[in-house]
Order: sequence, then structure tokens, then C-alpha cells
Amino acid sequence: MNEHQADQMQVVMIGLGDEKFALDAGLVREIIDPVPVTKVAGARAFVPSVINVRGNVIPLADLRIRFGMPQTDDSADSRIVVIEIEIDGEPVLVGVTADKVYEVTEISQADVQQTPRVGMHWKPEYIRFITKWREEFVIVPNMERILN
Amino acid sequence: MSTMDPTEVFRQEASELFEVLEGALLDLGQRPDDRELVDSAFRALHTIKGSGAMFGFDKVASFTHEFETAFDRVRKGEIKPTQELISVALAAKDYIRALIEDPQSTDDVIGEAILDDLRRFVFPDQPAAAVVEVAAAPPLAPSGSKQAGWHLYLEFESHILRNGSNPLDLLDDLCKLGPCFVVPITDGVPFLDELEPDDCYLKWDVKLHAACDKDAIDDVFMFVQDEMKLTLSPLEQVDAPAPMPLFQLLDEEPAPVAEMPAPAVQVAAAPVAAALATPPAAKVEPKPVSKPEPKPEAKRDDRGIATVRVQAERLDELMDRVGELVIAQARLTQLASSGSDLSIKMIAEEIERLASSLRDTTMGARMVPIGSLFGRFRRLIHDLSRDLSKPVEFVTAGEDTELDKTMIECLADPLVHLIRNAIDHGIEDTATRSANGKTEQGRIELSAVHSGAQVLVTVKDNGGGLNTARIRAKAEEQGLIAAGAVLTDHEIHQFLFHPGFSTAQTISALSGRGVGMDVVKRTIENMRGTIDLSTRPGQGTTVTLRLPLTLAIIEGLLIRVGEGRYIIPLSAVEECVELTAEEERSRSRNFLNMRGNLVPFLRLRDILSVDGSPDQHQKTIIISTGETQVGLVADAIIGNHQTVIKSLSKLHSDVTIFSGATILGDGTAALILDVAQLVALAQSKVEKHISEAA
Repeated sequence: MNEHQADQMQVVMIGLGDEKFALDAGLVREIIDPVPVTKVAGARAFVPSVINVRGNVIPLADLRIRFGMPQTDDSADSRIVVIEIEIDGEPVLVGVTADKVYEVTEISQADVQQTPRVGMHWKPEYIRFITKWREEFVIVPNMERILN
Repeated sequence: MSTMDPTEVFRQEASELFEVLEGALLDLGQRPDDRELVDSAFRALHTIKGSGAMFGFDKVASFTHEFETAFDRVRKGEIKPTQELISVALAAKDYIRALIEDPQSTDDVIGEAILDDLRRFVFPDQPAAAVVEVAAAPPLAPSGSKQAGWHLYLEFESHILRNGSNPLDLLDDLCKLGPCFVVPITDGVPFLDELEPDDCYLKWDVKLHAACDKDAIDDVFMFVQDEMKLTLSPLEQVDAPAPMPLFQLLDEEPAPVAEMPAPAVQVAAAPVAAALATPPAAKVEPKPVSKPEPKPEAKRDDRGIATVRVQAERLDELMDRVGELVIAQARLTQLASSGSDLSIKMIAEEIERLASSLRDTTMGARMVPIGSLFGRFRRLIHDLSRDLSKPVEFVTAGEDTELDKTMIECLADPLVHLIRNAIDHGIEDTATRSANGKTEQGRIELSAVHSGAQVLVTVKDNGGGLNTARIRAKAEEQGLIAAGAVLTDHEIHQFLFHPGFSTAQTISALSGRGVGMDVVKRTIENMRGTIDLSTRPGQGTTVTLRLPLTLAIIEGLLIRVGEGRYIIPLSAVEECVELTAEEERSRSRNFLNMRGNLVPFLRLRDILSVDGSPDQHQKTIIISTGETQVGLVADAIIGNHQTVIKSLSKLHSDVTIFSGATILGDGTAALILDVAQLVALAQSKVEKHISEAA
């Protein structure tokens, strides 16, 4: 039982472009519908704007930039996943755009695939590991690295 | 509800008392004849002693007691408070503070040494050793004479019963110390129809036949000492055998007397009168009586206003809630104004009014007069001027100016740096001063004043002024500027804020390490404030800190640039003008002609990298920091906005032109422009323009 649990990881499965990303459910605070964004001139490209979430102004990060994926327009499925990560030892709320949020599910770390060294145009440091979920490869991103 | 540790409460209370005490002592140095000051120092001492004993800080109580004893001679006007005495008194104050804050680190020897010093000043006519002996003996115990007991006279304030104290229980406690002869004094009991059943009319005359110390007796009355009069005098040996039978004869339990007025005991009058008439036998402890006396005066010191201690976090929380309320209210107002329902509009207006007054009240609750901060520096200056042998007169003004409490805390360190600099670098030594025809005593002025939505805190010295040439040489040496570069004095002075920059030739304990001014600048900028430096060679330097009134909510001017909306702090806005068609066209020349003055302007569309074509009639908002004016060109001015400031996250800490964000009525976030950064940007552009032209 314990062994089984140690292998399992609760994640929120989101879709960005053609890829699926699994965000550690422990980081996720809430999932909201798209809200008007405010562009921050001069900010780094992967945190281009801020949004108002329940009276807090939080940065909105775009993972597509970090993974070199093309921009897509908001659709009816678009959502913002609000996660809490530590930056310089302080908890920070960050919104992450998602083209689609699939479900909260468990992935097994036993299925972890060795991150291939070649044939990947992503920076390996942004990826915690790649695993299999329903016969599909999913990326478990390293959010701390991506946002720092 | 969190319960507060009573010891913590005592520490807090004590630290306030220390401020009062220190302030009074320092003032006394300048106005030795001011009775008020002596009294207020004495009151502070007395309260520290009383509550110290109550909370079990016995060392504090006994040391303070000695201090008080010595100081009482000053109070009685028998000796003058000289500078030396004040210095020792300050050292004694520090020692008490150490006893309270960190008792482990203190050493009794130091305390004794301080007391010795104190006694030397206070009892100059007596050899020190003798004084020590007397003072070290239990107070009131006449050294040499045999102690047989105590004669007590007890008088409680009439409302004592209502507080739940029962004098009879106290008398019982007293009886536990040894055999007592208790005589109630019923003079004060009125006729039955005038009698208030809740009042205590009785007084007691007690003979305690036990060789206990005064402390034991004080312990009995510890909790009521402010509400009673306790006169203690030692009993003569002769009285000792008498009371036992009498005591038993009268009544073992004196209890019932309090409930109903007992038949007057004739015997009472005589001993009491005697006790009152005869001054206490030993004069060593001149203040055995009159415990309640400091109380009413202390109250008057609080300006007669009832105050409540509130934890700072609660105020912060309240402020957060009010901030959210203001945002919600802005949305309501917007919604109401877009509809046509008159009654909703009325409610929206009502709520707007309430929210803004609630905001003001809440902000007011967080405001603290800056005087509490100024007080601390008097000691700093006193010590520095002694250590550096530069006599300095310290003048403060505007102590009543109120600032947000968090800002007051943040201001302490920067001001310490500025004042140290002023004394160490600013004020010249006495010889130089007199050679330059100045008074030997330097002068440092610390003042605070409201100016619009800002508070200006100024540190001004009348020293030698900044040595611009030396700063320049140092900047060249450190490679900050090229040799021979054309710079204004103002620009050269800015190097002082550069990290690691110091022109002091020698490193002293005080300054010269080049750490300081950059920290000052950073701290002030973190508070959204600015620093102005102005100096006149040979006449002194003035450093002005411009600070916003509060950190939480500001009045803002809402503008539109492209699709985006931005806030400019209204305190920085001077005026709004329309950009003329000619100025609009000229892309090369970025100056406005403002009534004859050339004011550089920045196109916000460029800075905020907005695409598309600008609106037809561009507006210019003239902003200023200090003396510098800069125009900001926007597409439209929307209007006033109550701006609840939300800080930007660390992910955006690299973006400098925004100082924060806020939430608009429609729920979107808007960014607040950082005026100081924009002005700096405009100035650098102007310089570039000039250097290109040249």
C-alpha cells in the first residue's frame, strides 16, 4: 500500500498546444476561467502580464514561451491554473495559462521515462521527468526552475 | 483571541517608560530647573519599579529603587542635575533596560558601580562608602537599631471594593507575617443615609510584631499599591510584648468590621495621629509613603485620552479588508453609474462615502506621531557629541507629524545613518568652526512636516557642507566617471548613494566604511520615497526625505495609454496640459514650453511599447520630484482613482518603471507608474540629448 502510494503522484493534467503537462496537484491552488490580463511592459517574455485573482495581483506565466511553442488564441477550453511556488524562499502565487484542463489524476512514477538527451528541443532543466499516462507521454515540468 | 504574556506587556510598557525617562533626562541636561521634567523622570522610574516588582523582576525593582532614592534628592531640589549626573543617570537607565531585556547579560558589579557613581553625585557631602552601607541595608531599617516590627497605617481608595479587592483578606495576609494588632479607624464612615454600600470608608492602624522586611509587607499589598496609602514606620522594641493579649481580646477575625461600620474605637485616633505626625524614623528612604501620588499625574500625561493597545497585525489585517472594500466599492460605483436605477446610484454614493471615511479612519489608526522616533536620536546625538568632542545642539521640529507606523519603523535606520554622518562628517571640530567664525557648538535640526500627500523629514546640519571636489575625485578613482566628464554638482552628489562609496579618509567606528548612504537610499525608495540632498559650502548640508503618507492606499490619477490603463500617484502630479500640435509633431525635440520653462517629456507609448497610432489629442501630465519636472504624454486622462497598492511579485522585480499594481473598478489590474524612475529616465535622455548636441 505504502509502496504503491510512494509511486503515485496526484497531478492536474493540462494541455498546451499538442503537449500534455502534469502539474503537481500539491502546488495548484485553484483553476479559474480566463480573466482580462494587464500587460507589463518590460517584463520577461514568460511572465508577460498580471491578473487579478480575488483581489490579489498575480503574475501570469506562459509555459509555451519556455517550451518554444507557438501562441494560440484563447478558446472556450482555456483556463488559468493558479499555483503557489517558492521564489527566493517566499511563497508566490502564479497563474499558468492552459489551453485545456483535463482532470486531476494520478500518475505513476514507476513509468518514468528517461529524459532523452537528444531529439528534444526543450531545456532539460525545465523538466522534472517525462512519464506515461494512458499511453501518452506527459511532461512533469519543474515549475520552480521555469519561473526563476 | 490571543492572550498576551504579561511579562511581554511589562516589557512593552517599560520600553515606553524608558523613552519618557530618557527624554526627560536629556531635556533636564538643557533645562536643569524644569520641575516638570524632574517629576516626569521620577514618575517613569517609579512606575518601572512598581510594575517590575509586580512581574517578578526583583533586580529591576531593587536597582530602580536605589536609583529613585538618589534621584529623589534632585526632585527635592537639594542638588542640581549636572551634565555628569545626567550621564550617570542615562547609564543607570540603560542598565535597567538590560536587566529587563536580557538579565543574563548583566552583571551586578556594573549595577553597583553605576549606583556608586550616582551616589557620589547625589550625596557629595558624604563619603561614598558610608552611603553605600546605608543604602544597601534594607530601606527604612535604621541601621543599628533593633527591628521589632512595623507600624502600618492603611488607607484604601473608596472604590477598592468594586475592583474585587478585599482589604480584610489583605489584613489576613498581613496577620500571617506575625502577630498583628489591628485597629479600624472609622472617622470616615458617614451617616447611614449617605453610606454607599460599595465604598470602603475604613482605614486601619496596624501594629505588626514581626521582624520581617519591608518587602514582605509590600508583597501583601502588591496588587493594590496604586489604590492605597501605606505608611510604614518601624516599631520601637518597647511595644513588642503588649499587643498579644489585646489582639486576642479584641477579635481574632477583624473581618466583620468592614461590612458594617463598627462602633468607633476611641483608641484609634491617638496612634494614628501619632503615626501621621511623626515623620518616618529613618530618612534614608525618603519616599516610603504616597504610592498613589504618581498615578493621577501619569494619567494626565496620556493627555486624558483613553487608549487601547492593539496588535499591529490586526491593524494590518483591517487595512487589507478596507482595501478590498474600496475595490469592491469602486466596482459598485461603476456598475451603478452605467445603469439608470436611481436608488442604486444613491446607495452606491452612500457606500462610496462610507468606504472613504472608513479608509481614512483606518489609516488614521495606523498613524503614529514621528516624535516617538525623534526621541531616540537625542541619546544618539548626546553620546556622539561626547565621543567626538563636538558640542552639538539638537533641535527637533514637527514631532506631531503623523506617519504610518510601519514607515516610522523603517525610518529609524536611515535617520541614524544620516545623523551620524551629519555629526561625523558634517559638523567640523571646534577649532575649525571658530576659525571660520562659526559658533563652537554645531547644530543639527531634525524636522518633519506634511506637504500635500507627502511627509518631508529633514536632517539639517550647519557644518562644512559636502566637499564636491573630493566626492568627484573619489568617483573618478573608483572608475565611476571618466576624468574630466562634465557633471553638475547635483549629479556628483548622487555618487554618495553609490554602494561602497566613502570619502572619509579614516575609518572610524562611526562611519567611513561606505556602507550607509546606499542603504539609506534603498530603504527610502522601498517606501516609495525619495531623497534630496542640498549643500552650501561652509554652511551645511540638508538631506530631505520625501515620504508618502501611507504605504497602503494612495490617491492616483488614472490615465490611458493605448489600450492599457495606468496610475500616476496624484501627489507627484503638478498639472495636466494638452500637447500642442507642433510639440506633437516634433519627434526630435522632447521639450515642452511651460510658461517659459523647458520641461522634458516622455512619450509613454514609447516607454510602454504600445503599438498602433496615438490618439489625436495627446495629453501631458507634468509630474515632479523635488525640483525636477517631467512631462508624461498619455492618450487620455480618465480621472481620480482611489488606489489600493498591491506590490508586484518577485517575478516582476526586474521591471523598474512600475512601483506596484492596483485593481480597477471593472476588476482588471492596472499598473502604477514609478515616478522617480520615470524622472530619472527622462533626465538620462536629456543628458544624452545634450551630449549628442555637443
